[in-house]
Amino acid sequence: MSRALLRSVLELRATTRPSSVLLPSSRTLAAAAPATSPAAAARFLHQTTQQVEPTQPQPPPPPPPPSASQPSTTTIPSQTQPPQQPIPASVRTLLPLLAAQPGGHYITVYIQGQSYLVTEGDSVRLPFKMPGVAPGDVLRLNRAVALGSRDFTLKGSPYVDERLFECRAVVTGTESEPMRVKIKKKQRCRKTKHVYSKHKYTILRISELKVCKDVAEVEA
Amino acid sequence: MAIKALQTISTGRNGVGAFILQCKRIDIHFCDWAGSSKGMNGFIKSLLPKFAAAHPQIEFVVSPRPSKHPVAIGHYINGREKAICVRNMEPYQILKKLELLRDASGEKLKVTKPVQSINESVRGIWSPYHGNGMKV
Repeated sequence: MSRALLRSVLELRATTRPSSVLLPSSRTLAAAAPATSPAAAARFLHQTTQQVEPTQPQPPPPPPPPSASQPSTTTIPSQTQPPQQPIPASVRTLLPLLAAQPGGHYITVYIQGQSYLVTEGDSVRLPFKMPGVAPGDVLRLNRAVALGSRDFTLKGSPYVDERLFECRAVVTGTESEPMRVKIKKKQRCRKTKHVYSKHKYTILRISELKVCKDVAEVEA
Repeated sequence: MAIKALQTISTGRNGVGAFILQCKRIDIHFCDWAGSSKGMNGFIKSLLPKFAAAHPQIEFVVSPRPSKHPVAIGHYINGREKAICVRNMEPYQILKKLELLRDASGEKLKVTKPVQSINESVRGIWSPYHGNGMKV
């Protein structure tokens, strides 16, 4: 135990001395914009803590932001939420109209770099196995690219304000695909190599989608 | 738009109202004598009581099957079953397999699209005869 501690201390000393010139400490890095040096950028991408995005305006089509490396679907505790932006006046006037539309709503949720247009009751097969979830867990999906109804669409730039809707999904299980076989063959050689792979996917079911009826009650 | 009859039977969508685990029963077979059951026997002694206690919604049936390889069979709500032969496996490998049986839905494995929906399209079907049209 003491030897492991000693080794970790030695490693820490070895890494902090050169990196103190290049990098700010990890706590300040999380709050800062993506740093300029490549090592710092890689470090930033692998952060597991909540990363606050810079406030400068971004282009309307949602590019994968630096925060794509973190699972955006987990229930986010309130103390890690970014500072709230004021809701624009157009959203203030048009959101009640969107919420009052008959025929249900759709939402384009953004999970790990991919967006899925879903309505309530749909099942989503994620392209990965989500770690740390069991069947029956409820996830609050708070990243949406668009939110809409028959006649109105609220587009996010890049995301819709997470206070304006409430979307929940139930983890229904883990599925896998049929075994894939890739045959590797080189020219003029009789040998064929078979490479097998079988990926696992987490299945979600959108159990709840509520659009906020009035902006005033959000800000209250 | 085609005329559709009213749907009389509702389709189950697990998780929309309540969530029910799809695996309802897991049969565990072992052999007292054979070496391929060594890990399974250890698993039944050490890990199974905890796993079974953690999943009260699954029925666990442990029964001997002499002179055969050990096997774990999951039975699902949709009537299908999934059997995994766990010969020569360590107890923790068998635990992984039981977790696989628990998480599975019982459906046959197939390649599916990312989003599966039985709802009608929210925005409707596009029509060239409606709206303002486009000047060419």
